[in-house]
Amino acid sequence: MVLGSNSRNNGFLAGSLCFAFLFCHAARGQSSVLQLFSESRPAMGTTFTIYLYAPERATADAEFDSAFDEIERIEEALSNYRPSSELSRINRLAATAATTTDPEVFDLLQTSFDYSRRSDGAFDITVGPLMRAWGFFRKNGHYPTRAELSRARASVGWKRVELDPQQRTIKFNAPGMELDLGGIGKGYAVDRVIDVLREAGVKSALVDAGSSTLYALGAPPGKEGWKVVVPRPGDRSHGISEVLLRNNSLSTSGSYEKFFRLNGKTFCHIMDPRTGEPVQGMLQTTVIAPSGTATDALSTTMFVMGFAAGSKLLESMPNTSAIWVASSTNESHIEQWHWSGRLCQSTGDCGATGEGNSTR
Amino acid sequence: MNRREFLGGAAALAASTFVEQSSATKLPASDQVNLAIIGPGSRGQQLMRTFLRVPGVRFAALCDIYEPRFDQARRITGENTRAFKDYRELLSAKDIDAIIVSTPLSLHSEHVTAVLDSGHHVYGEKSMALTVEECGQMRDAVKKSGKHYQIGLQYHYAPWYREAIRLITSGKIGQVTQIYAYWHRNNSWRRPVPNNDPKLERLINWRLYREFSGGLVAELGSHHINFANEVFGGIPESVVGSGGVDFWKDGRETADNVQVTYRYPGGKTLFFSAITTNRFVGCQVQVCGTGGTIVVTEADGTYYYEPKLGASAVPEGLAVEHGVVTGASYKAELPYRGQGRSLTVPAGRQGNPDFLACNSFIESIRKNQRPKADEQVAWNCGVTVALGNYAIDHDARVKFADHVHG
Repeated sequence: MVLGSNSRNNGFLAGSLCFAFLFCHAARGQSSVLQLFSESRPAMGTTFTIYLYAPERATADAEFDSAFDEIERIEEALSNYRPSSELSRINRLAATAATTTDPEVFDLLQTSFDYSRRSDGAFDITVGPLMRAWGFFRKNGHYPTRAELSRARASVGWKRVELDPQQRTIKFNAPGMELDLGGIGKGYAVDRVIDVLREAGVKSALVDAGSSTLYALGAPPGKEGWKVVVPRPGDRSHGISEVLLRNNSLSTSGSYEKFFRLNGKTFCHIMDPRTGEPVQGMLQTTVIAPSGTATDALSTTMFVMGFAAGSKLLESMPNTSAIWVASSTNESHIEQWHWSGRLCQSTGDCGATGEGNSTR
Repeated sequence: MNRREFLGGAAALAASTFVEQSSATKLPASDQVNLAIIGPGSRGQQLMRTFLRVPGVRFAALCDIYEPRFDQARRITGENTRAFKDYRELLSAKDIDAIIVSTPLSLHSEHVTAVLDSGHHVYGEKSMALTVEECGQMRDAVKKSGKHYQIGLQYHYAPWYREAIRLITSGKIGQVTQIYAYWHRNNSWRRPVPNNDPKLERLINWRLYREFSGGLVAELGSHHINFANEVFGGIPESVVGSGGVDFWKDGRETADNVQVTYRYPGGKTLFFSAITTNRFVGCQVQVCGTGGTIVVTEADGTYYYEPKLGASAVPEGLAVEHGVVTGASYKAELPYRGQGRSLTVPAGRQGNPDFLACNSFIESIRKNQRPKADEQVAWNCGVTVALGNYAIDHDARVKFADHVHG
C-alpha cells in the first residue's frame, strides 16, 4: 500500500503499521525506485518498529520477516520471562554448577560485565532481586523492609558471577542470583537485526526497539541521516534536541515510564546497584554510540552515574556522546557531553507529535 | 582407550534422560565431541548455537556450497573453523564424531547416507527425505551402519509434549479420536535474497520449490504429524489433501496453504492445516479425547475438561440418604471449558526443545545409546509427510499400503 509519493520532505515518519514513500535511487547495484516501508511487531516486552527502503513490497516483506525472525531468535535466547530461553536455563543451573553456553550468549555476558567493571558497578545485570524487592517486576512498587533489602543485596553483584572464557561457563557464587539482560538485550537485538538487513543488501533502515533504542543504517535517500527527536522527560510532544543518526545508535532511559510515589518522594525503576535503591534526581539520559548494545547499556549507566562520573567514563569511549536531564527541587536542567544534536530553542521548535522518531 | 575406541565395542541402550545438563568443568578430554555441519543456513546456524551450549562440544568443520555461510558459521563458533565446499572432502576428516545434516530436504537422502557410510553419527534435519523410497533407503542405511541417527524433530523432546503424551497414555482425556493440528502464519515464508540476485533465489528460498522441498507439510507439519503418529501408535492408513499457490503468486511452486486429513487405524483422524495469510490460530495441536482435550503449542501445553458429568456410579448415601440440598441457583454463566489447566513440567525437566534434543544426541554418542527420535520415528514421520504431499499433488485419496511396507 503506497500512501505517499515523490516526497522530498519526508523528514518525518508517522507511527502507522505499514506505509511507503517513493524515491528514485540507485541502489543494490541497479537503478530502482525505492520505497519506504515500515512494520511493527511486539517483541521483548515492547514494540519493535523497522523502517526500510526496498524496491517493492515483496522484497520488504521478506526483509521484515527475516529481521523479526532474528528478534524472536534473540528473545528466545535472552528472555528471562520464557522458561525455554537460554538465559532462563543459565539462571536455573548456574547456582549449582558451572553452566556452558554458546559463544554468542557468553560474549554478551562478558560485554555486560565489562560495562559493570568500567562503571564500578553502576551497570549490573544481576540487579533482578533488587527490582523484585522494590516490586517493579510485579508492577507493585513499594519500599522494601530492611530484611527484604538485605536478602536482595546478598543475591546481587556482578563480582559474584564467575565467567570462564575457556570453557564458556557461568557460575553464580551466591544463592538466589539471576541474570537480567533488560538493560542491554534490546540494544543487542537491534544490532543483530542491522546485521541481517545489511546481509540482505538493505542500505537504508531505521530499527526502533520500543523507541528506547534506535539504530540508523545509512540515511533516507537524499538525506543526511535519520531524524530523531529527544523529547522532554515524559512529554513526547515537545523535544529538547534533534539529532541526525547515520550508521550509529541512540538510546534513552527515563524515570517516567515505571515509578511509584511514597511520602511525596518518587521512586523510579532504574536501580543503583551500588546502593540497592532507585536512582534519585535523574529524569532522562540519552546516549549516542556506534552500536545499539553500547547505547542501551550506557543510557542506563549514565542515568545511574549522573553527569560528573558518567562523562568521565565516556572519555574512554570514542564516538560516544550523551545528554542528561536531571532534576533538583522543582527545576530540571540539561547537561551534555560531546552532544552533536541541535538543542530545541522553544516550544514547537522541534519534536511536535508526528515529527521525527521520538525516543524515550 | 578413549571414548571413540570404547564406544566402538559398546552396545548399551538406555532411555534418554531429557534433562538439562550443566556441569562442564570436569569433563575429561576424551568426552569432547567434535561435530561438523553440512548446510549451516538459517536452521543449521541455530543448531550450531544450540549444540555449543552442550558441555564439551566443538565444531571441527563445516560445509556449504554458498560461501557467505562460512563467515556466518565462524562467527557462531568463535574460531576459524575449517570449511569445505564439497561434502565428500569433509567426510574424510578423521577427527569428527558426528555430522549435522541441515541441507534442503531433497538432499537429505544423499547426504545422510554418505555420512553414515563414512562411519559418522548423524543429526539430520526433518523431514527425513522427500520421497517414500528415499525414507526407506535411509532407514536401511542407518540399520546397516550401526551408527546413531537422530531426526531433528525437536518437539519430540519438548517437556510439555512429553507430559502431554504421558497424560494421554494414562487415559487422562479418555479415548483420543481426533487431532486437529495447525501452523498458521501471516507472512510470505520467503527469505530475503541478497541484493535481489536472481541466481541466489532457489538457493536461499529452496523451501518454495518442489525440486528441493516438501513445502508446508514437510517444514511445519512434520512436527505435528510426528506427535500424532506417537499418540496413535504408528502411521496412518490413508490421506486426502488439498492446497495451492493461491495468495503469494510470486513464482513459488510449493503451496502457500495446505490441508491434509489422515485416517489412522480404528477411524482415528489427524487434520493438519498450514496457511500463510492469518495467524489467529497460530501453532497448536488439539488432541480431542472422550474425556477432555489437551492443547500443545510451541511453548506450553494445557488440559481442558470435557463438560460431561455423571460418568461414574454414585453411592446411594450421597444423593438418596443425605438428600439433595436446595438453594438459590443464580450463578454467572459457567464457561464451556474454562481457562484450562497448564501442564506442569516436573522440576529439573524444563528446558528448550532444541537444547534438549541436541543434548540428548550428544548423550547418545557419549553413552552409545539409541536416540529417542531414531530412524523409525523419522521414517514414520517422513513417509506420512511424503504421502500427504502426494495426496495434494494427485488430488486423490492415497492408501499407505499401496506405497509403504513396514
